[in-house]
Amino acid sequence: MQIETFRGDLLLDEEFDRLLHICRLRLGSEERSKIKAQVDEVIEYFDAIDAIKCDDLEESYHPIKIPERLREDAVKEFENVNGILKNARIYRFYVVGPKI
Amino acid sequence: MTSIDEFRSKAIPDGYYSDLTAELEKLNGQLNAFNGINRLLDSGYPFSVKDNICVKGVETTASSKILSGYVPPFSATVVDRMVEGGFGFLGKTNMDEFGFGTFGINSERIARNPFNSEYVAGGSSSGAAIATSLLRYHVAVSESTGGSISAPAAFCGVVGFTPTYGLLSRYGLIDYANSLDKIGIMARSASDIRYAFDVMRGQDDYDTTCVSTTPTSERKSRIVVITQLLDGCDKAVVSSFEKLLDRLRNSGYRIDYVDVDFITSAIQAYYIISMAESSTNLAKFTGFKYGYKLDRFIEPYNEFFTEARDVFGPEAKRRIILGTLVRSASVRNRYYSKALKVRTMLINKLKGLLKEAFILSPTMPILTPKVSEAKELSPVHAYAMDAMTIPPNICGFPHISFPYDYVGGMPLGAQIISDHFNDYAVMDFVSEWEKGFDYRFKYNLGAL
Repeated sequence: MQIETFRGDLLLDEEFDRLLHICRLRLGSEERSKIKAQVDEVIEYFDAIDAIKCDDLEESYHPIKIPERLREDAVKEFENVNGILKNARIYRFYVVGPKI
Repeated sequence: MTSIDEFRSKAIPDGYYSDLTAELEKLNGQLNAFNGINRLLDSGYPFSVKDNICVKGVETTASSKILSGYVPPFSATVVDRMVEGGFGFLGKTNMDEFGFGTFGINSERIARNPFNSEYVAGGSSSGAAIATSLLRYHVAVSESTGGSISAPAAFCGVVGFTPTYGLLSRYGLIDYANSLDKIGIMARSASDIRYAFDVMRGQDDYDTTCVSTTPTSERKSRIVVITQLLDGCDKAVVSSFEKLLDRLRNSGYRIDYVDVDFITSAIQAYYIISMAESSTNLAKFTGFKYGYKLDRFIEPYNEFFTEARDVFGPEAKRRIILGTLVRSASVRNRYYSKALKVRTMLINKLKGLLKEAFILSPTMPILTPKVSEAKELSPVHAYAMDAMTIPPNICGFPHISFPYDYVGGMPLGAQIISDHFNDYAVMDFVSEWEKGFDYRFKYNLGAL
């Protein structure tokens, strides 16, 4: 089912709120109106690419061809594990995070 | 002789590095070039590192509060190679948060132009350009996604090189947009850039997108100017640029004007792709693993993550929202897929032109704006300022911005582009230019 995203050129309010939830962002009411208006303006600007005729072309995920180069499937010890852990709160060598 | 060879041939007086860093600290209070200066530096040719590139044991924040306190346990490959090559780490340079900006104003500490601090330094590698303009002996390791080397290099009057995508390892770079990010270099001459480039380049087992291709130096005697790009420039910029073209004509280059009517759609394609990629890259910053800690672990994870992400700046929030939107199933074909196809179209067209020629344009369409003027621009107007720098970035072509004129005491930059892997050719072009044009600098800290 196609979900309705826009009304005219404007992003629907409920769609904007859905995006905020997915992004794990919250905005105060003033910040919300300002950013919502800017987002609408940017989307209108993006719509200009609709006029470019290139549907028969392939998508370029990289600007150059990247040769497939896989590393050995072998464990390589990182020499500074403590350095990683120092960036988080640690309890008995576990990273402490929020409740799930 | 490069400045690096010249520096190494001289006797370095006692106290050189401590005097240098002390002077730099003072100026940094006015210009905000550095997020941190290494007061322990005591040897080597000074090099700075943009604050989105990891240096082991040194706080690395990408100028974002959400990374405040993050201390990487490893260095980026390019940093290791510079140190192994005898360079000395001078400090972390200021930038727009995560690279999101053209003017250096999307940082808590706004970057200021060294020619006149009322004016912008350009972004996002603002601090790298300021440092290069301040220091007699120095190279800056910086990074570009859509013009973050060229724009500040032009506004600060230094040489800024962005290599072919994939030539420099990105291991240790805090990603903005993976299919667009390129680590590059700023310096006061093309020969210094070439020296640092050769130190840093080469395959890296830690970055599978890093290629081992040897760059070429295929000189072109023809220069192409894309008319649609000039159409969007201020009259003062065009007038100076035409004088540059006259000088190049007199040096034997053939100048041809060419129409590429869809060239400005590169801006939309770039912002769609970069926002899509950045919105996924920023998803990992949730307030407990990378320095910044919310410390309210009692909260459920959704509320915790949402509260932690309050500290993103407004431009980061806009890009996360827009990037998430353009990847949504309902509009993916309309925006993201289309943008990737427009990129293919641009690569095909520009690659055709670059077979037989360089492409040259002003680096920026406007004269350097004041900080107050840049702050007034809407996001769309600010994005449109990247019209010249986006085409080579979205296509991964090597390019250099170099100073070619001074208007009202402020520098103007032009940007020369070549085909993939013909990186040495753009350096040679700028070296040739430097033989007949003296760059101006207001400061010469560390001169011997």
